[in-house]
Amino acid sequence: MATAALCGSRQSPEGLLGDSSPQEDEDCDPEDGDSDWGSYSSASSDYDDLEPEWLDSVQKNGELFYLELSEGEEESLLPEPPVVNHVRFSENEIIIEEDDYREGKKYEPKLKRFTKILKSKRLLPKRHNKKNSKDSGPVSILKHQSHQKTGVLVQQRYKDVSVCVNPKKLTVTKAKEQLKLLEVLVGVIHQTKWSWRRAGKQAGGERLVVHGLLPGGPAMKSGQVFIGDVLVAVNDVDVTSENIERVLSCIPGPMQVKLTFENAYAVKKEAAQPTQKKVQLNTEGDLVKLLWGEEVGGSEQKVLHTPHVVLYLTLELDSETSKEEQEILYHYPASDASQKLKSVRGIFLTLCDMLESVTGTRVTSSSLLLNGKQINVAYWKESDKLLLIGLPAEEVPLPQLRNMIEDVAQTLKFMYGSLDRAFCQAENAPRVDHFFELFFQRALLPARPHGGASPGAQQYEAASAVLLDGLPGVRWLPLPQEIKVELDTALSDLEAADFAELSEDYHDMRRLYTILGSSLFYKGYLTCSHLPKDDLIDVAVYCRHYGLLPLAAKQRVGQLVIWREVFPRCHCRPPTDSDPDAFQEPEGRYFLLIVGWRHFMSCVLLEAGGCASTAVGNPGPDCVYVDQVKTALHQLQAVDCRINEQLESSPSPCLSCADWFLAGSHEKLDCLTTSPILSKLQGSSKVATSPPCRRTLFGDYSLKTRKPSPSRSSGGPDDGGEGGEGGGPSPHTTPDTERKQREADGSEESGALLKVIKKKSALLNPFHVGNLKKDLSEKELEIYNAMKLTSGPENTLFHYVALETVQGIFITPTHEDVARLGGSVHPELIKNFHRCCLSIRAVFQQTLMEEKKKAGSVADHSDSTDSASAPNPVKEHGVLFECSPENWADQKKAPPVVAYWVVGRLFLCPKVQELYVCFHDSVTEIAIEMAFKLFFGLTL
Amino acid sequence: MGEEGTEGTVHLLCLAASSGVPLFCRSSRGGAPARQQVGPWRSGSPKLEGLPFSVIGSLNGVHMFGQNLEVQLSSARTEDTTVVWKSFHDSITLIVLSSEAGTSELRLERLLQMVFGAMVLLVGLEELTNISNIERLKKELRASYGLIDSLLGDSELIGDLTQCVDCVVPPEGSLLQEALSGFAEAAGTNFASLVVSGRVVVATESWWRLGTPEAVLLPWLVGSLPPQAARDYPVYLPHGSPTVPHRLLTLTLLPGLELCLVCGPRPPLSQLDPQLLERWWQPMLDPLRACLPLGPRALPAGFPLHTDILGLLLLHLELKRCLFTVEPSGDKDPSPEQRRCVLRSFYTLVTAVHFPPEPGQQEDKAEDAAQQPQVPKACYLVSGTEEPGTGWRLVALQSGPRRLLLLLSAQSPVHGLRGLATRTLHALTPLL
Repeated sequence: MATAALCGSRQSPEGLLGDSSPQEDEDCDPEDGDSDWGSYSSASSDYDDLEPEWLDSVQKNGELFYLELSEGEEESLLPEPPVVNHVRFSENEIIIEEDDYREGKKYEPKLKRFTKILKSKRLLPKRHNKKNSKDSGPVSILKHQSHQKTGVLVQQRYKDVSVCVNPKKLTVTKAKEQLKLLEVLVGVIHQTKWSWRRAGKQAGGERLVVHGLLPGGPAMKSGQVFIGDVLVAVNDVDVTSENIERVLSCIPGPMQVKLTFENAYAVKKEAAQPTQKKVQLNTEGDLVKLLWGEEVGGSEQKVLHTPHVVLYLTLELDSETSKEEQEILYHYPASDASQKLKSVRGIFLTLCDMLESVTGTRVTSSSLLLNGKQINVAYWKESDKLLLIGLPAEEVPLPQLRNMIEDVAQTLKFMYGSLDRAFCQAENAPRVDHFFELFFQRALLPARPHGGASPGAQQYEAASAVLLDGLPGVRWLPLPQEIKVELDTALSDLEAADFAELSEDYHDMRRLYTILGSSLFYKGYLTCSHLPKDDLIDVAVYCRHYGLLPLAAKQRVGQLVIWREVFPRCHCRPPTDSDPDAFQEPEGRYFLLIVGWRHFMSCVLLEAGGCASTAVGNPGPDCVYVDQVKTALHQLQAVDCRINEQLESSPSPCLSCADWFLAGSHEKLDCLTTSPILSKLQGSSKVATSPPCRRTLFGDYSLKTRKPSPSRSSGGPDDGGEGGEGGGPSPHTTPDTERKQREADGSEESGALLKVIKKKSALLNPFHVGNLKKDLSEKELEIYNAMKLTSGPENTLFHYVALETVQGIFITPTHEDVARLGGSVHPELIKNFHRCCLSIRAVFQQTLMEEKKKAGSVADHSDSTDSASAPNPVKEHGVLFECSPENWADQKKAPPVVAYWVVGRLFLCPKVQELYVCFHDSVTEIAIEMAFKLFFGLTL
Repeated sequence: MGEEGTEGTVHLLCLAASSGVPLFCRSSRGGAPARQQVGPWRSGSPKLEGLPFSVIGSLNGVHMFGQNLEVQLSSARTEDTTVVWKSFHDSITLIVLSSEAGTSELRLERLLQMVFGAMVLLVGLEELTNISNIERLKKELRASYGLIDSLLGDSELIGDLTQCVDCVVPPEGSLLQEALSGFAEAAGTNFASLVVSGRVVVATESWWRLGTPEAVLLPWLVGSLPPQAARDYPVYLPHGSPTVPHRLLTLTLLPGLELCLVCGPRPPLSQLDPQLLERWWQPMLDPLRACLPLGPRALPAGFPLHTDILGLLLLHLELKRCLFTVEPSGDKDPSPEQRRCVLRSFYTLVTAVHFPPEPGQQEDKAEDAAQQPQVPKACYLVSGTEEPGTGWRLVALQSGPRRLLLLLSAQSPVHGLRGLATRTLHALTPLL
């Protein structure tokens, strides 16, 4: 409600725009969602009920970052405030606020007349306007950089902030509900509903927590008011939510007001945690909070004390106007630890300059010791500017840092066109600040809570980020043909831009945008893409950076709309490409539209100019396009559960858990090399329940799937009698009694365990395809069944990552797969796998670079010199590890040991592919064979 | 993983930390580069051929600048060059710039340790920490140029990198050992060894107990000195006695085979008269002769090694000894230099990236490694183009204190690498 009012505060007097509810209740109900979601469009005359709710969030420069969650379905009544990311600051914004708004409006109506037509045709559903209901809809809250001053941590409990207020401009925005003055006058947003969850607390004397800051508002301008602060007094008059409006209304005219705030940190310390609970995504900082969970308060501190820095320096110094720090074009963050790194920038500048002139090659990195901690600094030089990122080696190994800086440079160029534009344009500064806040959070707090996901999945996420975030690819979820066709069709339909009566063609208008391509993510996995590889990667890196992928994975997104101008590298480079040159017109501009709904997220790359009309100014998102994408997503709703099944009972190569292979060294020394599964069945208590599971599984199994796999002796119902013997040729036979016991157990518990089995099925029997059921033809089933990567009777595969660089995708076990495996050693193993792969990949990258150099160098090298000078490219690299459970208490016995390989394989031709696998030592594997199996049929 | 060792240069700069005065500059391309560069006849010099004084100044400058701000600059990398800074005793700063392919910080850091060790060995720590007269120190340091240059250049040895003593396995070791002990006793010292082209054949127990880096540097020094019948050389032991000089006595028994003794003021060289030598070594002439070809081969002739093995490096991390050879079998495609280079860079990769640091390196780190639940045991690397029969394979195996690295030809199947390495290690175990 108060939040709703905020939108109002930026509105023209014509009325309240687009603060109508997004109908969360419908969102959560797949059945009646469709009707409402059909299309939203804007109408030129009636704003009131037709504006999409994100419209208010569109920035002056056309950018939009609107996020509305439908987290916690049972709490769906709770308002889900959107996040708006990009705020344009200007000196006099508060004065011209209204104009801003109008200006902002101008780009909207292009297609409005269609809407009018549509309305007349009753094509557009009316939406209920819940604006005044108690739980009014999402609110657009414009935020600011709460972290700008994070470095200054001298925390007094109270602080006084003087702001200038001007009640005169209230004339336009008055006539709103209560609590308005605080926002309009002071620029502080407080939401009464914040306390909604604290049932006991009546709104009467509620503390005025700053939930957001109005951009350009006096509070924000002061730079001293932060989200989370509590306003306790105005001109020494104590205020609460009850009396604040009265107090403020006493301000007669423009004057300076002293606001006393209680510090955010101080409050946080004493305030009970629950108050922080609900996602109040008022600020960019809150996006961080959303993505990293509640502990951010504490971890922020940790991050602050870890030396990290990003610097953008110019190498061209103007000696005439020698000014302190004039070479620093950009610097973040302002913490003490990073000050140190900033102060030695002379080192970086000198090294960059000198080493390049001495060696003829660019400086890539350097290492320093700071307080006994090794800090790596990566360099990225472009023309005469130098981008530096410094991070501790402990947290970020050097190879990873090198990938990261490349990613950062690439993403910034994608977003702003060039590094110069990103760093040197004043209005971008807060956004870039935010960008790097997210960046460092990601780098230094890898254990980002994956809301709702199990700790196992979180660990996996954190462990794999080391490697996966650096791969030039997008995580891909292979889907059965049928689903894929459906997705492809949906995207193709969208790309055809044949919007019938909504399309510009229909009205003889020149097209606003050409859709260059689109891609579809499901729960953070790429499921379908019609984008060229480079674009796909650009988009994916952008999404990864803003944490959009995990966002979709962990909770249903009520609505996500992102719109911004982008500069894709393959389109924006000089037209020397073989690309169809029709699209290479200089005035061509590119826009990225991301629409998220539930677990789906669609990224659409639009082109203006070329055969579409030229974009003028900073166009905002056009409702029609947004709606069409949304519609496409809604159409896919039917596929949702099928994809989800696919995700859960992933048909990709089945995995084993390392814990199964842990053999007590005393009892079976040789079983390690024969039948590890056996030992698992006999031995550890950890898997004591699995034999019955498997027993019952077979009953279950024969009902559900038609065919036992011939290649796996333990898999089929035929082998039911053999129980969990693992089937492989093994010198060890389980004592019969034991087996019988197990069988008995199995039949007894079968009913109770059914649930467990369902969960475990994919791990216990890879050929049990779970709920895959009807949609799959028998043949497909077999293809998927064939995905047993390792040779030998046992499945010894622990983990894998396969990167396909031509299409820019990689596949790796899903979170579900890994979470299912569980185990105590296994997570450690996976962590080690990724670290090791990073090192292996560093070797490969070196090779690739040399290959490139070789290819680039003139071909006049005769063979003889070639053999001497041309290095043989590294193509395979493997490391054997032994691991044992941590905290092995038994002193007498040696801890059991499992040995496993981590093998990386690089393929240079016909196309560059990389494969990383982790498997048990018992079977000799040939990486090429595994690669063939993995890459087979892997096409977008 | 670079293979070509011929390309690229290593530059070593030594400066007085307090004043920043350069004490010397050496480069792997012979001598002091700065001086050679002067002269118009040296045209078309490859990059890095000689560093101008301004570069030396700024290389030292950035390091000093950082130090003043309590930030220690330790290394920097360009696409093909690595620079490492290191300060010793707050008095000497060593800077190394290497554009050798496959170079790494590990290699350069160890190189700097060795170089400083070499300086102490020949000049003494006292001189280096209390610099009273820079010009005199410069002159004294000239004595170490030979040893330092041999560390920078392509050596047949690997002790500079592994910090283990290069050894060979003589066919009749026990006979030689006996003779050596007897001789040492007669000569009145505990420290004696037989060195063939820089590698230790046999040594007394006390000699083996010499610490790093002198255990590596002494044979290295002997190998790098011009051949002489006998020497009496004052040395400081960087680890054992950095301030009090000892004497290194060498006697050439056969060309290339030298007897080394480390002793105090006694006995004088003259006392090691021909009778003494003759008595102990005359009967050993045949076993001694048999040691001569061991230089590059390290293993006794006829030792059964798989024919695919092109190069071998066996380290005993506790004893700090290693066997290194690239000529176990006849000449095949990659040249010995190339093989050495490949094995060196593989060792660097394996040590820096995968395997836990060797014990004794940095105690605290080794402890960490012991607690690490994921212990790397083996490692392999396959290089070559997709067509079969090109490139080579490398495999490393860790077993107890031993670490074996093999360079294998391309026909060796990848899946058999570990088995082959295990068998080879097994066969080699009695030797080291």
